[in-house]
Amino acid sequence: MEFVRPDSIEAAVAALQADGAACLAGGATLVAMMNADLVAPDRLVSLRDVAALRDAIRRPDGTVVIGAMRRHRETAEETDLRDGQRVLSEAAAQIANPPVRNMGTIGGSCAFADPAADYPPALLAADARFALIGAVGRRTVPAGDFFLDWYETALEPGELIEAVILPPAPAGTVGSYTKLARVAGDFAIASVALVLGMDGGACTHLAVAVGACGPAPVRRRDVEAELIGGGLGDAEIRRLTDALAEAFDPVDDVRASADYRRRVAPRMVRQALVEAQQRLSETL
Amino acid sequence: MTPLDTSATGVGASLPRLDAREKVTGRAQYIADMVRPGMLHAAVHASPHAHARILGYDTAEAQAVPGVACVLTGDDFPDGRMGAFIKDEPAIAKGKVRYPGEPVAVVAAEDEETARRAAALIRVDYEDLPVAATPEEAVAPDAPLIHEGLADYFKVFPAICGGNVASETELSEGDVDAAWADCDVIVEGDFETPAQAHLSIEPVGALAEVDAEGRVTLWSANQSVFRVQANVCEALQLPMSKLRCLTPKVGAGFGNKMEPHVQPLVVQLALRTGRPVKLILNRTEDFETVRARHPFKIRCKTGAKKDGTLVARELTAVLDCGAYGDDSPGVLGYSLLMSRGPYRIPHCRASGKLVYTNRMRFGAFRGFGNPQVTFATESQIDEIAGRLGMDPLDLRLKNRMQPGDRWFGGGDVASNGLAECIEKAREASDWARGRALPAPPGKRRALGVAACAHISGLLATGAIVRLLEDGSVVLNTGAVDIGQGSDTVLTQMCASALKVPADRVATASPDTDGSPYNWGTTASRVTYTTGRSVVAAADKVAEQIKRHASEIFECAVEDLELRDGGRVGIKGVPDKELSFFEVSGRAHWAAGGPIVGTDTWVYNQPSVDPKRAIARGLPFPQIGVYSFGCMIAAVEIDETTGKADVVEVWSAMDVGKAINPGSVEGQIEGGFVQGMGFALTEEMVFDGPRLANPSMMDYKAPTSLDAPFDIHSIIVEAAEPGGPFGAKGIGEIGLVPVPAAIANAVAAAIGTRLRRLPLTPERVLDGMLEGGDED
Amino acid sequence: MTGEPVTLRVNGAERPVAAVAPWTTLLTVLRDEFGLTGAKRGCNQGVCGACTVTIDGEPVRSCLSLALNCADRDIVTVEGLVPAGAPAGALAPVQQALAEGNAVQCGFCTPGILISAHALLRRNAPLTVDEVRAGLSGNLCRCSGYKKIVEAVARASEARP
Repeated sequence: MEFVRPDSIEAAVAALQADGAACLAGGATLVAMMNADLVAPDRLVSLRDVAALRDAIRRPDGTVVIGAMRRHRETAEETDLRDGQRVLSEAAAQIANPPVRNMGTIGGSCAFADPAADYPPALLAADARFALIGAVGRRTVPAGDFFLDWYETALEPGELIEAVILPPAPAGTVGSYTKLARVAGDFAIASVALVLGMDGGACTHLAVAVGACGPAPVRRRDVEAELIGGGLGDAEIRRLTDALAEAFDPVDDVRASADYRRRVAPRMVRQALVEAQQRLSETL
Repeated sequence: MTPLDTSATGVGASLPRLDAREKVTGRAQYIADMVRPGMLHAAVHASPHAHARILGYDTAEAQAVPGVACVLTGDDFPDGRMGAFIKDEPAIAKGKVRYPGEPVAVVAAEDEETARRAAALIRVDYEDLPVAATPEEAVAPDAPLIHEGLADYFKVFPAICGGNVASETELSEGDVDAAWADCDVIVEGDFETPAQAHLSIEPVGALAEVDAEGRVTLWSANQSVFRVQANVCEALQLPMSKLRCLTPKVGAGFGNKMEPHVQPLVVQLALRTGRPVKLILNRTEDFETVRARHPFKIRCKTGAKKDGTLVARELTAVLDCGAYGDDSPGVLGYSLLMSRGPYRIPHCRASGKLVYTNRMRFGAFRGFGNPQVTFATESQIDEIAGRLGMDPLDLRLKNRMQPGDRWFGGGDVASNGLAECIEKAREASDWARGRALPAPPGKRRALGVAACAHISGLLATGAIVRLLEDGSVVLNTGAVDIGQGSDTVLTQMCASALKVPADRVATASPDTDGSPYNWGTTASRVTYTTGRSVVAAADKVAEQIKRHASEIFECAVEDLELRDGGRVGIKGVPDKELSFFEVSGRAHWAAGGPIVGTDTWVYNQPSVDPKRAIARGLPFPQIGVYSFGCMIAAVEIDETTGKADVVEVWSAMDVGKAINPGSVEGQIEGGFVQGMGFALTEEMVFDGPRLANPSMMDYKAPTSLDAPFDIHSIIVEAAEPGGPFGAKGIGEIGLVPVPAAIANAVAAAIGTRLRRLPLTPERVLDGMLEGGDED
Repeated sequence: MTGEPVTLRVNGAERPVAAVAPWTTLLTVLRDEFGLTGAKRGCNQGVCGACTVTIDGEPVRSCLSLALNCADRDIVTVEGLVPAGAPAGALAPVQQALAEGNAVQCGFCTPGILISAHALLRRNAPLTVDEVRAGLSGNLCRCSGYKKIVEAVARASEARP
């Protein structure tokens, strides 16, 4: 095993082109797997010294670009995330526990793509895109096309996540992340990320993503689009939760049964939407 | 040096732990921290099979790895077998494997990485055998036999066994079958509890070193140096004089470190290599191979009259033993002994079966079967209260054992603080008001109660108290302090008995060469049993001090008294006194010296009175004295998900006398949270014979955010005659009522009785949606 | 040990190691090379928290930190909680609070708890019980039920000048 610590993105990409190379971001997942003898990369490319990956920048239009090496604690405390973008900081604040949040990075977590992790639904609800860089250059991939399957992403071999890009959330929207877990800091049994805007009883912005209920986070843009412009009462929420449930593909695991996930996630969506509407009405 | 507040040191003071400074500075040495010159590191090759015959080994590749000193397989181990009740377990698999993860071969190498790499290169040829993964499978007519030699194994009690049944036990009083006709209300149900992992934060490990004469010194994470010595010597067929067992600091034991784990493996490696060998299991190995709380299936039936008088109880339990007997027959017998609870129920029958399976062995875990049966029995007390429209606390008070009443089976109960526990918990929780408190929006809220009892006692113990030349004291008991604080408590007792400050007493670390026998730190027994010996030994020292002083003063022994600060003087004559320094200095030169007090005893009160009860296959003829407790838990349930959280708890426990109240509270608080994990989140999930969640990622114990901060410890002191300063045990009882109290709160909140632990969000939500059939 | 040389700054001292393999964790180096056995290996998966140390002032898992990735960082272990130059036997306030508050039982989780608590105490004014509970939620204790630990840390936060 070889250990390299490049100090630029270009050098990191170059180092990643070797067979068996793996990115070492915060180490929270990769080193745990190495300790358990589950992986043994031929080359570890530590991104520690790539300063450009550690920043978060808010552009004038409200777009926030979060470097891949930004740690969970920093994202949880990120004041540049505003309105509906707060869905991401709420999710970051619920990952694991303080020492792990001091280590783990958004790039590392997303590249590992555990379906029960907290970022995937939050990023999907925030309409985030991934900025990727590889030997052939840069590209961006929407979150919905990034998380493909169990622990599988759109990353090509030799490619790394440079940043996560959150578009501006419309002013006045609210973002929230709700997680059900066995104990504090555990991976989710089910989770709900949402961004909601209401104007005088009419829904102006609606994005709801459900985590841990399938190989990738689940979102129903088609139904969301139909609900824009109308109220968001029991019947409308029911339309959305029914549609989401159709797209669930959960499994039984040590955290909960698939059957429970199918039943509880719609209830969590409903509750999260009710609470988000309350929050919106309180801020008016 | 920053002084710690040790202004009060005697019995009744919350003296900080004697080893607190060592622990907060990171200097305390645990087994993994130990290094010996020339030490080798060991690793285990574990069985991938649940049940298979071993046809042969190929260790050539492992032997060839540079740095490997020794590879041993079952062929390299003697034929001895160990076991606390049934001698059924070899040091390492021989001939066949009986559970996945069972050690099959071991490697010692210059470093741990090399040892692990080499262990993975060992090839073993197996012939698969049919598997019995559950007690149901194991008692089926065509079940494979897990221990072909069961009938011939040595057993320490009259075991009723056969086939895959390791032990059957029955205990009864009165005429249960006839009594049901006298009952106006009968509740009946099937209860189920899962395997719980001890999850000591320290994984187990051991280090053995052999001297030029071939005598072995063994350090290990343990709860009894004497049980380690006995187990290793039985398994390896060594004379006990050839093995000395010591203990470093122990990173907690909740039963998991009482009986053997890897100690025989390192001893054999040390004997073969002539070098020190250390083996520390990783977390997954610790999960898969050490031991866990028994899964119980319980059928329970309880009947009462209209006025709430309890009349009859019948309980049957089936325990998954796992592949080896370990402490299991004791757990079965003890759980049945606890199945009547702390009540007057004139007609009672409890019976159970312990069944070998091809799973990891199950064994002792804080509560020793009592939390499981108490979950069932205390659930039924609430069910009866519900049926009769009675307050659950009133029903418990009405039926509680009264002073002078005997335990189920006929054992004497000398002290009983149950009524005070119930009343104090009722008052502190503001029960009547608390039950009616509204829930926060989106939640359901309820209080739940459970009462219980537990023993402290069992078997042999001893103490040696010596006066050094300067009058300071050395106490040696052989009891391992596993972190619960027994060294501090025993030191306080010794100091109080001799009227010296605690810092004048040095407490020796257990050593099978120099300490008096101590069965172990288990059964909530050290404060009570070892404390008794400490006080008796200290009293003998006091007598000798007085005898020497009487020779100096030329007065009668009866005219002398001990005075605070380590002095002896003539009663009524304040200036006629000597320091222990003066007395002990003389005693090192004079006939009758030096001053040493020793005491040994075996707990000897019978648990069964044959005139009252019928007992078959019960492994404990003498069990112990009784502590009592009552716990009230306030639970909130999220209506969206069904997740239950304990928000506040009141735990009133009768400890006889709190020698160190801070430590007593620590046991109550820690026991509560461990019990809460058992009730709500913890479950070892098995896929057939194999553990599916052997990691801390997948097996979840409560964190500081899950545990309620508002745990109110209420200390009740119903002095135990014969107990040291009136004390009895507190190590386990704080956990015993937890699942029942939480389950009763959940039932009150959702209107449905849940009879299977853990009370996961899924089960609670199902119950809530079903709703309303609580009766 | 195969690998490359590295120098780590631990408790204020520069400590060279001749050869560290890429997969070797900081925890292993602390314990096996430096004899700093205060940090414990409870799970080696980053869950239990017994191995917690601070790197550049923040509590992290030493079992998930590769030693080669820790060069040029300030590492503090439980052995370094008492400032250099303090009299022999001195305790940091948080150590004293846990010792006197009956908040230490088996002690195996204690070094990690102390590191997390120490970092919490540096952050802001008196801590509420819930802030302490959240701040220690990455350190499992199986003995105490947490109450006395949380009390002791909250008390230490009030006693600060």
